[in-house]
Amino acid sequence: MRLDIRYRMHFRYSEPVRESQNEIRVRPRDDETQRVVSFRLTTDPPTRVISAFDYWGTAVCQLGVRTAHTSLELLAETSVDTSARPAPPPEGAVAALSDRGFRSQHFEFLELSQHVAWQTGDGVAERAAAAAQGARSVPELLAAVVAEVRSALRYESGATDIGVPLGALLAGGGGVCQDFAHLAIGMLRSIGVPARYVSGYLFAADETAAADETAAAVSVQTHAWIEAAVPGAGWHPLDPTNGGPVGERHVVIGCGRDYGDVPPVRGVFMGGATAGVEAEVVIGRLPATDPQPETSSRSRPRTLAHGPPATPRPHQQQQQQQ
Amino acid sequence: MAESLPGPGGGLLDGYEPARGFDEAFEPDGSARGAYRRIVERFGELDSGELRRLERLVADEFRRQGITFTVYSDEEGTERIWPMDLFPRLIAAAEWDELDRGLTQRVTALNCFLEDLYAGEGAAIADGVVPRWLVVSSGGFERNAMGIPAPHGARCNVAGIDVVRDGDGRHRVLEDNLRNPSGISYVIENRAAMAKACSWLFYDHAAQPVDQYGRMLRSTLESMAPDGRSSPHVVVLTPGIFNSAYFEHAFLARSMGVELVEGRDLVVDDGTVYARTIEGLIAVDVIYRRVDDSFLDPVAFRPDSMLGVPGLLGALRAGTVTVCNAIGNGAADDKAVYPYVPDLIRYYLGDEPIIDNVPTYVMWDPDQRAEALGRLGELVAKPVGGSGGAGVLIGPQADEQELEAARAAIEADPRNWITQETVQLSSLPSFGGERLEPRHVDLRPFVLTGERTEVFPGGLTRVAMRRGSLIVNSSAGGGSKDTWVLAPEYS
Repeated sequence: MRLDIRYRMHFRYSEPVRESQNEIRVRPRDDETQRVVSFRLTTDPPTRVISAFDYWGTAVCQLGVRTAHTSLELLAETSVDTSARPAPPPEGAVAALSDRGFRSQHFEFLELSQHVAWQTGDGVAERAAAAAQGARSVPELLAAVVAEVRSALRYESGATDIGVPLGALLAGGGGVCQDFAHLAIGMLRSIGVPARYVSGYLFAADETAAADETAAAVSVQTHAWIEAAVPGAGWHPLDPTNGGPVGERHVVIGCGRDYGDVPPVRGVFMGGATAGVEAEVVIGRLPATDPQPETSSRSRPRTLAHGPPATPRPHQQQQQQQ
Repeated sequence: MAESLPGPGGGLLDGYEPARGFDEAFEPDGSARGAYRRIVERFGELDSGELRRLERLVADEFRRQGITFTVYSDEEGTERIWPMDLFPRLIAAAEWDELDRGLTQRVTALNCFLEDLYAGEGAAIADGVVPRWLVVSSGGFERNAMGIPAPHGARCNVAGIDVVRDGDGRHRVLEDNLRNPSGISYVIENRAAMAKACSWLFYDHAAQPVDQYGRMLRSTLESMAPDGRSSPHVVVLTPGIFNSAYFEHAFLARSMGVELVEGRDLVVDDGTVYARTIEGLIAVDVIYRRVDDSFLDPVAFRPDSMLGVPGLLGALRAGTVTVCNAIGNGAADDKAVYPYVPDLIRYYLGDEPIIDNVPTYVMWDPDQRAEALGRLGELVAKPVGGSGGAGVLIGPQADEQELEAARAAIEADPRNWITQETVQLSSLPSFGGERLEPRHVDLRPFVLTGERTEVFPGGLTRVAMRRGSLIVNSSAGGGSKDTWVLAPEYS
């Protein structure tokens, strides 16, 4: 399926800010089931974009605006070909999860992390263990845990902020796709299944529905799901928000221990302004055509101004809110 | 002050009884070792009043120049005059030659490991030399450094390797400091103070000079410029005046003739780091940073850090600037990784280690842990990420309550503890106010790596100020000694 993704982020500041520096993770990765045909990140004001891959293999675009500005607009345009993902592995013995080599290999996805923290008594490990009881294979166990997450949480937009402990999430009972993903990851890790967070795009008007999209284009936000490691079969994707299969309408940006490793935007700026952001993802389905060469992800370098330093201002550094 | 002891032949060394273990200056039979013969004679001619007078001279000199160190936990004012004992440590040429080769070997292997880990294939992990989980669970492992190569593969440009001598007189590495080792400024200031107060001591010794450090460091840092740029712009990045090593940061900038900057003096634009100057923005090629990894760039690391430079990691990824030492070196000086260093030397260099480790047990291994906890009273227990002696338990000097607390701490977090055999550090005569008495010492030589690795002659000798004490950290009341590497004909 050829998908055309336009991700627009517009930061507005109540007064001029300067020295904004940002890491942007919006470019889909290339893997066995998806191929980026073209990707382009443009900014207003225009600035040089530096592209690299981070530790997790996610493409990261680094950009900054040094001079005073009251608005920063980013537009990431992607064309990507996706294909159906392989069917879930039929086997994967539960006992193999305790293999020492397997655990060492996936060490980082078994431990607690910044946004995936649980403790005895908060219900995460307890509910996971109860749900997994009697599972005869790892895929069965995965399905049981995802079902448990979906019975524990109802989809409620704006219910939580990133950073809510899993115990509080369970107690609150509501959340968005990040919360579904974090809870599922925590439950899986608590019973010894390596699990990681996936940031990406979903071509669906409603991320909670698993139905096939009939519209030509949808206007949405980024989506999050998970992958679990199945012994002998590699990483297997699951979407706890809608409970459906992860297929050719899912486009992976990248993965990590949790949201903190793959946020679409992470940045700071200088100044005392209040900031607002509008973010929108428009995904359209295109008829597949011949692949076009990937356009440069670097906008034209700006000439450097070697003027005097900016007038000293209150030295206040703020985090770019996504 | 009463001049209590008689003049010539003041008897400062009368009744000197070397401590248990190895004495640097005296043979077991009480005669002075070769390298120390003349210095022992010289000190034998002094009396305690004269030595006290010289000590005051040195302290006044340090006070005038503001040569101090900071104790964070001290409630009575955090600045203290740097303590130096006047009896110097001498290192004979042949002994230094062994240290020089051993330290070069060790730091070369550690640089190979770091470059392999962050910018290479991860071969040492793939080949099972070091367990992967151990490396990625290290507090010093920095994922943001991944994929950023260092010029010449030199990730640890300034290393401080703590070396001790065991009871049999063999050198052993006690720990590696590969992040921001400090102390070199005191090496140079100690020498300057000694040369001023005790110039007569130098007449019959040829000690290698130490005042060339600034030039050596600068040329090392210049060799780290991206793309081999000529006449690169080097700066020293400090967290600021409240940092305990600020004196050293200022000292190094001055002795290299480069700017001392704080994070807010630098700005990133279009992937290049600039220094804000009165002439405008000037591109920076090499940053000798004395700011910890997690404070370097609030975009990529701690968002609340005001000490760093937003966008620095992006500039590193763009290859426009080099940060020295490289980010993430803590993965190699993690004390739980230290036991693997001899194997890393064998793996990367194909040679046997010239200087051994102290026998060390990893507490994550259930068998080693059980054995060590059973005889903790004989061992030293250390948290893996600590420095300055913080959290270290010396078994033979601990009471039952302290041992019990350490056992509980180890059981609760075994990955982050090691235990080591207690090394009876070597001793040297040190002035206790009335006479010279044996005090335990260690040595922190500094190893510079740019295009090649070289060991700076000597290093910082730290000395425990109380008899029998094995704690030499200045933050715990330790002192220091001027350290002379002797020319061959004088050894």
